[in-house]
Amino acid sequence: MQALRRRDFLRITAGAAASLLAGALRAPAAWAEKFYREPPWRRKKPYWGFGVDVDKCIGCARCVDACKTENDVPREPFYFRTWVERYVIRKDGEVQIEAPNGGLDGYPRVEDAATVAKSFFVPKLCNLCENSPCVQVCPVGATFKTEDGVVLIDKKYCIGCRYCIQACPYGTRYFHPVLQVADKCSVCYHRLKRGLVTACVEVCPTGARMVGDLSDPESNVTKFRENNRVQALKANMGTEPKLVYKGLDKEVR
Amino acid sequence: MKDIEHLVRVAVIFLTAIAFFLVARAMIKPPDYGKLGRYRAGALDDIKALPVKYAGQASCAGCHKAQAKEKAGSSHRGMACESCHGALAAHAAAPKGPKPSKPSEAEMRRFCLRCHEASVSRPAKFPTVDDSKHNPDVACSMCHKPHAPKL
Amino acid sequence: MHDAVVVALRETLGKVTGFIYPNELELQWSILIVLYPYLTGLVAGAFILASLERVFNVKVLKPTYRLSLLTALAFLVIAPLPLQVHLGHPERSFNILFTPNPTSAMAMFGFVYLWYLMAVLLLEIWLDYRKDIVGWADSDPSWLKRLIYKVMTLGVFKPTAKSFEIDDKVGRALTVIGLPSAILLHGYVGFIFGSIKANPWWSTPLMPIIFLFSAMASGIAGVLLLYMFLCWARDVEIEMPCLDTVAKYFLTAVIIAFSLEMLETVQKAYEAEEHFDILQLLIEGKLYLSLIVVQVWLGSLMPILLVGLTQLFELPDKVRKVFYAVSGSLSLVGIFAMRWNVVVGGQFFSKSLMGFTTYKLELAGREGLFSAFVISILPLVVLGVLLWLLPPWEKKPAKA
Repeated sequence: MQALRRRDFLRITAGAAASLLAGALRAPAAWAEKFYREPPWRRKKPYWGFGVDVDKCIGCARCVDACKTENDVPREPFYFRTWVERYVIRKDGEVQIEAPNGGLDGYPRVEDAATVAKSFFVPKLCNLCENSPCVQVCPVGATFKTEDGVVLIDKKYCIGCRYCIQACPYGTRYFHPVLQVADKCSVCYHRLKRGLVTACVEVCPTGARMVGDLSDPESNVTKFRENNRVQALKANMGTEPKLVYKGLDKEVR
Repeated sequence: MKDIEHLVRVAVIFLTAIAFFLVARAMIKPPDYGKLGRYRAGALDDIKALPVKYAGQASCAGCHKAQAKEKAGSSHRGMACESCHGALAAHAAAPKGPKPSKPSEAEMRRFCLRCHEASVSRPAKFPTVDDSKHNPDVACSMCHKPHAPKL
Repeated sequence: MHDAVVVALRETLGKVTGFIYPNELELQWSILIVLYPYLTGLVAGAFILASLERVFNVKVLKPTYRLSLLTALAFLVIAPLPLQVHLGHPERSFNILFTPNPTSAMAMFGFVYLWYLMAVLLLEIWLDYRKDIVGWADSDPSWLKRLIYKVMTLGVFKPTAKSFEIDDKVGRALTVIGLPSAILLHGYVGFIFGSIKANPWWSTPLMPIIFLFSAMASGIAGVLLLYMFLCWARDVEIEMPCLDTVAKYFLTAVIIAFSLEMLETVQKAYEAEEHFDILQLLIEGKLYLSLIVVQVWLGSLMPILLVGLTQLFELPDKVRKVFYAVSGSLSLVGIFAMRWNVVVGGQFFSKSLMGFTTYKLELAGREGLFSAFVISILPLVVLGVLLWLLPPWEKKPAKA
């Protein structure tokens, strides 16, 4: 009995060691491939992406207003699916960021314009992360990524624990005061599915915002990414947003 | 057997509890959960079924051909009708029903300046005016037609 | 309900400093979520103290063994309550158990919790008390208690002597499983925060370990105080060797927890990543009182000093008791402050790293101070019931 046990033990140990060793030897080949990750839109059509041209944004906040109307976002100045920040960078390096009421009320006049080095508007919305921290942490699968790359919320299933709000690095989520569930930009999924663009893109007077199909080589967002040097917010987080910006500044948070 | 009778009874209680849990789970878990991914597939239908409030440019241009044509040749060509006239899906569905909004002459200046007020933050090429110097107190439409604003 | 939230948030609007993302005005996790790791920590700490007696055979701890187990159970039963109350849809909370998302740290809570409650703690207490329960089922003067005890015997009224031997072995095995389970339970609570990369105040692999050791400190302090209180209430002598040993473990836990916290702080300061400026402002500003004064000075350094003195010098029993009681109380307050600093402190600053929001603790309401107070008292009520039903000391013979 004792001997048999020992033999079993040896066999199991040897087997485990062998498979570990095999794994270690196999590793280098797989290692090289890690540097290239095929974009998900190569495999799935359509696959939604978003682009923002900071150089075109005039800070009119039509998008914020339209978004609140289209998606029944509470009108209070602390619930937004999208908002527009204004950056004022002074020549002495001072950075001032403002988004009063998300931009809906306009922005205070910039004093001492002569001391301003540069100033611009940055619209914010769901970053459409490929590796969404919010989806990762949702305990029940009430927030999820669809097959076409959009992160959505199942409001009938959300338990309202707010973990996703903590996990979003971009602050794009809020807790809906009436529905008592998390809420955020859905890239107007209900509109995309009807062949319409998002409400914010629809009303944007300068074409600073665009939504489109990344799997289509001729689409607006594909061309936008190809023809410009684009950047994602907080790329160090490894979230791989499908929302990209042209004309960002290092001060943009 | 007598020595571990109590442990057997505990085991039975535990197994019953687990069985109860599994039955409850089978009964309560939405049947379409996990069909497409780790979520309720029906949620997609719920979201897709949400009502649209902004009808979209094509919808407007379908009826209002003259305005659309005038605007298409102007510097406001990139703008959607609903950018100024508000969400109009309800109007598109029932043209006799809700009417498009239009800024009155009194509020027009504020309305136009929301985009065209001079500001260091706006792109340099974007046409702006200084409110206090550019014919103050005159409605913009005195000179500029909203659908074709260039003089 | 939500109107009150909106009104409070409108007031908060004027109190923002710097820039925050507009949605960040509302502080999402309130005082109830501070209570959750606090209560869970007391569970883990108390259980680990009990395990020391059982697994490592520290005989001198015998007087606190059962008390620690009952304390752990009382707090464990209440620990999920603040979470439940805090949910926007408490009625949907079973979704966590039925369709858990495996990548979510929070989803695993239900399972870790149930495992720990059912498989470890209840079973261990039951096995330990079974001999007594069988006896009490016969002899207790109250018919109600006799009935409860009878149910608790599961119908085995005449256990064999061999069965108690088996119980002892199974109990020991359970404790051996229970120790890593307790560590898992609380380390996991730390992971809920430590794994949030979006928040630089939380995101650190040290978080589970810091939580664990501060949990041990608070749990041991809790049992220490309870033991002293119960001895006083029952008018029996405190067994000083036991108390001294508990205090020694307490000191160890406090020192390790404090060192880890300092290590973490020094590392953050030295690396000085882009978020360091805002964290420094946070510590020196909004968290000065709760972190520097309460958590560090009163909650960590004072207990280390006081209990340290008892280790260095031979002090009379009376002085030692006072030092232990003061240190234990300070530590309980300090560790509550630590949970506060992590949970609420981590939400004060914007993820834009450019400004702060504020948190106004309401008195009434679902997430108010009153409700938090009730939830913190509840475990003691449960413990009272448990002590009444399962006294950890020899039952006084019924007055004839």
